[in-house]
Amino acid sequence: MKAFVDGAAVGLDAAAAAAARVLGAARLPVIAGLGTDVAGARAAIALAEKLRGAYDHLASDVLLRDIDVMRQAGRILTTANDVRLRADCVLFVGPKLFESLPDLPKHLDLAAPPRLSVTKTRKVFWLGASRGEAAQVGATEIAASPSSLPQVLANLRAAVLERKTRANGAQKLVELAAQLKAAHFGVVVCAADSLDRLTIEMLHGLVVDLNEKTRFTTLALGPGGNALGVVQTSGWMTGFPVRTGFGRGYPEHDIWRFDANRMVEADEADAALWISAYRAEAPQWNRRIPLVALAKPQTRFAYPPRVKIEVGTPGEDHDAIEFSQEIATFALARAKNASNAPRVADVIGRIEQNLAKGSEAC
Amino acid sequence: MLIRLAGGRIVDPANKQDGIGDLWIRGDRIVAPPQGETPDAVYDVSDKIVMAGAIDIHSHIASGGVNTARLLLPENHRAHVPRPAATPLSTAGWSTFETGCRYAMMGFTTVIEPAVPAHQALHSHLELADVPIIDKGILAVLGDDDFLLSLLRGGGNRTAIADYVGSMLAATKAMGLKAVNPGGAIAFQNNARTFDLDDVVPFYGVTSRQIFQAMQQAAIDLGIPHPLHLHINNLGVPGNVDTAIKTIAAAEGKRIHLAHIQFYSYGKEGKRGFSSAAPRLAEAINAAPKAITVDIGQVMFRQTVTVSLDIIRQWSARPMAKPRKSVMYDGAANGAGIVPYLYKSDNFYNAVQWACGLELFLLLDDPMRSLFTTDHPNGAPYTTYPDLFALIMSRDTRAKWLADLPKEAVEMTTLPSLTREYSFSEIAAMTRVAPAKLLGLKDRGHLSPGALADVAVYNDDLDRAQMFRFAHLVFKDGDLVVRDGRVTHYRYGRTLTVQPRYGSGIDRRLAGYYDDLYGVSRNLFNVPPAEALGRDYAFEEVACGR
Repeated sequence: MKAFVDGAAVGLDAAAAAAARVLGAARLPVIAGLGTDVAGARAAIALAEKLRGAYDHLASDVLLRDIDVMRQAGRILTTANDVRLRADCVLFVGPKLFESLPDLPKHLDLAAPPRLSVTKTRKVFWLGASRGEAAQVGATEIAASPSSLPQVLANLRAAVLERKTRANGAQKLVELAAQLKAAHFGVVVCAADSLDRLTIEMLHGLVVDLNEKTRFTTLALGPGGNALGVVQTSGWMTGFPVRTGFGRGYPEHDIWRFDANRMVEADEADAALWISAYRAEAPQWNRRIPLVALAKPQTRFAYPPRVKIEVGTPGEDHDAIEFSQEIATFALARAKNASNAPRVADVIGRIEQNLAKGSEAC
Repeated sequence: MLIRLAGGRIVDPANKQDGIGDLWIRGDRIVAPPQGETPDAVYDVSDKIVMAGAIDIHSHIASGGVNTARLLLPENHRAHVPRPAATPLSTAGWSTFETGCRYAMMGFTTVIEPAVPAHQALHSHLELADVPIIDKGILAVLGDDDFLLSLLRGGGNRTAIADYVGSMLAATKAMGLKAVNPGGAIAFQNNARTFDLDDVVPFYGVTSRQIFQAMQQAAIDLGIPHPLHLHINNLGVPGNVDTAIKTIAAAEGKRIHLAHIQFYSYGKEGKRGFSSAAPRLAEAINAAPKAITVDIGQVMFRQTVTVSLDIIRQWSARPMAKPRKSVMYDGAANGAGIVPYLYKSDNFYNAVQWACGLELFLLLDDPMRSLFTTDHPNGAPYTTYPDLFALIMSRDTRAKWLADLPKEAVEMTTLPSLTREYSFSEIAAMTRVAPAKLLGLKDRGHLSPGALADVAVYNDDLDRAQMFRFAHLVFKDGDLVVRDGRVTHYRYGRTLTVQPRYGSGIDRRLAGYYDDLYGVSRNLFNVPPAEALGRDYAFEEVACGR
């Protein structure tokens, strides 16, 4: 693992000092990416406050779809384990649900009956799967293209409420609605990645309606790379999810104002700290503002960062606390191949030390 | 560092003291007045009230549910004040940092998060690691978990249940055990919409009564200092005083703590079918064996959010949500519901609830058995404590509040006839001595030499709310952290845990059980050692009796 200032290899201390100069000189720095473990998120958010900057996450667009539906309409949620053990009816909605969670089908174990249920059988449906996906979990497939999905779900909701619908394929939806209503403990499995806000809200409405007579709930799959853990950490540290800024000396949350890409393109942010410790991912913005990057070695940047520090992967190079979607809460991931590649939290700690030195000097 | 607090009125009911004197602190402990030594610092606290740091046994400050409530209600906790330089995020509305600061400002130095699902303990510890100043601890919730219910279905082997509970307390690094409407979350997953003491949990064939009694016995058998902390069935339901009284009887005189009993003090009288049954409940508690303790869970009029693992109750509260949104969680082994709520003084039901809580405060005769809580944030946020102190200390203050309430609500209660006013000594007993005793914390709640130097000094302001809102001085472990109602700097407290002894054969059994049933290692759910949690997180063991 290495560190670079203006492309030249340097020691970690020199890189941290240079990073502190870049960020300390900025009027409105933005911390973006935030692909890191809990320790890294804690350190980054504390740094954002110290710098009176803002912070955003690389998966914010997806994360905030779920969060916005929750805080506007509410949610009824469950865990993967409850699907595995108690659900006698499972409805998958939308394509590519297992892309970031390849082990999930095995964990859900849907071929077996639900072990902790009074019902000994399990029915599995998939609305709008991509090719070959439904077979992975032995689901009965009901075709729907991504673009037709919102309308199909609206029709399904109408069918559940026994409203007349003349839509194409209405009979199939009426049959599906009957299956859902006959469930003892049913679960909708979906991911914000493949649905828009209104569709997620429609699904929530469907689940609410089904609960009038029976039990239904939702397994909402989130992006990987501890994105959900970063949101949780942000929640308890500031009260808000990501896209929060400290310009006025206290946290303010605004999903438009503190969108890192927008801040950079609109010439509001004048320096950035990019963090992506899980994947070799680079910022999406085009304006070349001074950039400090805590990143994977293979990352291809659109323009060279002023400071680049290669960091370890949480749970690979070092132990890390992350949000595990398998168990629906935080867990300690032990290093699979422990190395001395620096942790995001430690690098930020060094940057902070240098900021402190800088402020003593003036 | 030797500190002398000179000439204050020392209110220390544990030592039957209420009089003018000096208090000495050396390092992190209270010490006897030393002979011939000059203190390093002297604080003139004449005309001030000196008490031990207060202890809150039931306040939802750190959990997945609390955090969901934060994310659900961004409109309710905007910050407006820039933070002082030395205390990052201390003014961030409803942040963990603000929690530590605001408790400290009121003279509270230990707070217990009472509702942590056993599978989500790490989440709570992570949040607690970011709560500055105060000491803290969690209660682990069991009672809807398959392993326990299966043991009960199989006849309820007492040793196996105690071993299991002991193992779960160790795995969660909790300091006590809680049950929330036990069996109710599973019943709700099976489409039950109400769940009573003798209702049967579907699939398992055991009753809520059997579950709580088994857990109560396990806590006793393990010798953990805090008895089973029970959230009774039928919270908030008119006529539920009967459930509470049945539960007191079902406790069979053995140690148990009944949480937020205000929410169980309702009758069905009057044309709206909702009345105060607080006098009846108070009488039952006063007559009950001393092993039964309660806390109040007072309601105060303001916007709040209810955060509870009692999903059956929260489901039924959904239509009353204000703002109109909520989150329900069919969680692993426990449910949860987050429902925003606005308690209004011109609402008949809310006014009766408010009066019920105060009736209980005034009719329960032993402050050592009736603890001070608002079930934060469910009855009211902890930040309303100062107003509540003022209410129980002054009948005039109560009369002023009562004058603003709907007459028909006041008629459903006995509150106007109650003249009792709490003394400082009773306040200190209720918020210091009693919680320390209930939690088994011998080193706090009092000001004896050798006690932890957690000390709160208040101005003797006739406006009692003002007095308790901004302590004059607060010491945590002998470190002056609050001056004139403001936090001066951060330090981080410890998290209290128990490590009960139990038969370790259960751990081998559980390892196989998790692998098979959940398809994941049980280790994934265990709280890792303190050093993995960051910020020099530290556990402190509370001794068990076995």
